[in-house]
Amino acid sequence: MCAITFATTLLIFMLSFQFGNYQTIIRAMVKLRTGHLQVQAERYLEKRDIRMVVPDPAKISRLLDGMSGVTAYTYRANNFSLVSSKERTYGVLVTGIDPREAQVSSLPRIVRKGQYLSPGDGNQALIGSILAKNLQVDTGDELALLGQGRDGSIAATIVKVKGIISSGQDDFDRLSVYIPLPFFQDTYSMAGAVHAMVVNVDSLSHVPRIKEALNAVIRSLPGEGGLRVLDWNELLPGLMQAIKIDLYSGFIFYLILVVVTAFSILNTFLMAIFERKREFGVMMALGGTPGRLTRLLLLESIFMTGLGSLLGILLGSLVTWYFQSYGLHIPGLDEIARYYGMPERVFPDLSIFSVAIGGGLVLVISFLTALFPTLRIRRLRPVPAMAGR
Amino acid sequence: MNYRIIPGVILIWITMAGPPVYAQDAKEVVDAAVRYYRGQSSVCVMDMTIRRPHWQRTLTIKAWTKGQKESIFFIVAPPKDEGNGTLKKGKEMWTYNPKLSQVMKLPPSMMSQGWMGSDFSNDDLAKSDSIIDEYDHTLEGKEVHEGKRVYRIKSLPKPGAAVVWGMQRLKIREDHILLSQEFFDEEMKLVKALTSTQIQPMGGRLFPKNWDMKRAQEEGEHTVVDYREIRFDIDLPDRLFTVPALKTTWK
Repeated sequence: MCAITFATTLLIFMLSFQFGNYQTIIRAMVKLRTGHLQVQAERYLEKRDIRMVVPDPAKISRLLDGMSGVTAYTYRANNFSLVSSKERTYGVLVTGIDPREAQVSSLPRIVRKGQYLSPGDGNQALIGSILAKNLQVDTGDELALLGQGRDGSIAATIVKVKGIISSGQDDFDRLSVYIPLPFFQDTYSMAGAVHAMVVNVDSLSHVPRIKEALNAVIRSLPGEGGLRVLDWNELLPGLMQAIKIDLYSGFIFYLILVVVTAFSILNTFLMAIFERKREFGVMMALGGTPGRLTRLLLLESIFMTGLGSLLGILLGSLVTWYFQSYGLHIPGLDEIARYYGMPERVFPDLSIFSVAIGGGLVLVISFLTALFPTLRIRRLRPVPAMAGR
Repeated sequence: MNYRIIPGVILIWITMAGPPVYAQDAKEVVDAAVRYYRGQSSVCVMDMTIRRPHWQRTLTIKAWTKGQKESIFFIVAPPKDEGNGTLKKGKEMWTYNPKLSQVMKLPPSMMSQGWMGSDFSNDDLAKSDSIIDEYDHTLEGKEVHEGKRVYRIKSLPKPGAAVVWGMQRLKIREDHILLSQEFFDEEMKLVKALTSTQIQPMGGRLFPKNWDMKRAQEEGEHTVVDYREIRFDIDLPDRLFTVPALKTTWK
């Protein structure tokens, strides 16, 4: 029974922990990078061509204002450019952001030094911490940006570092430069256009519905045929794959856990029956049929596995619930957590799904294992059994 | 005497002696072609037109090259971009912007990027000699073009060479004119192809006036370079190919 309880507890906790982790990763990536949905020009995601724009963002924002479930949205414009301090030059992704960015992404919260951009700013920039280190610049220093404008002309400007941001995601911190959107549009001759409308909705589970609705209204717009709506999954194609691989390797571990539990249960029941051989012999001699004895033992095993599972579910849920409220700090995991830009504490996500899978799996397997020794009762004969043979 | 050894010896002799002779030929053909289109030195003015399905743009560029390694070029028109310059020396490259009046050294990772959004990479435009140093050449076949023999050459990167292409295929005419150059990625898929046409006397030698770089996977995306004029083997001072010259030459 102890084994059942332990396995159930562990399984529920591990599953919740895993799912909680995925939720955290998705939320962190979505928050920092993509938002839930984006409206982009057709093929902009693949080609990243500065000329593939959302030409009239105001038109789309009027649509978004009227949609239920949309909690916030903002505009972004991106372009690859060279950034140079006095000595060094690197290739970076320059992003123009609107003051509304603060409602959509976690960008303002990852400013580690200096300040976030304010609405009136001109040639001010936020740069990633690794980039700052590579360029050997600090807040207040000047950087030259050199890239290509929407009209193909050479875009060049000087910006002042206003803040240094650090997300813990190395490539983000190495490649990111944020400047105010109007300044971006001016520098890169964008003529009022942007590259993405970043939309947040009230819940991850509403994303598909709102995506469909938004797609439908955008398609009905005259003259906006070249736009499409992408969800976070399409915008971060590697993320779901990584999660799936992790999930599979997790399941192998659970399988091993369940098999080990099953063997220990098998052993316990076999021993129990062996030890009670004389008792069963007496019962049989007194007129107990093998069928009756089997029923008795089945009832016992149902009771035991049931009680074990119930206790396990209770204990597992309690433990999970505790960590869900207070978070779990795993020393070795900090680095990985930071890499994905996640909070360093991990919060498991207790759900009916993890309880049902964790509890159900152990219950079914342990009951099936208990069934096997129980059926051996039928082979007992009263006299040898009483003699312990 | 064991006669069974003889076929083996012959085989070894063929594999050792055969291809190197071919490779030597091919390498000489490529060397000669590069020497031919770069000359000892050259000065040229060219129009570069970047074409995209719904968009196109023309730049006028003036370029100087010297030897195999050095080149410097400036944008002449349109006025908005005038004076932007690029200097290439061997594997190093600098770019100058008059608005910032600042020279930036390009990180090596940018060398394979398109220059000014065109289909010519920084490497292509500098008419890089990496094709000689970094690749092994084999002669694949011969054909005839306007009554002249044309060598078809396959160029594979030397082991360990830091190049972006998995393979290049060249067509070089017997009078050293490069007719086409195809660029393949590591999976041997064609990425882009350069073809030269309008071969005519320019600057005292036959030279293709028109060079067209086409993206293989993108319909309607290509960049055309049209030489207005070119002169070869002029005496150019070494100080033209220096970083300070980037700032001062176009003023």
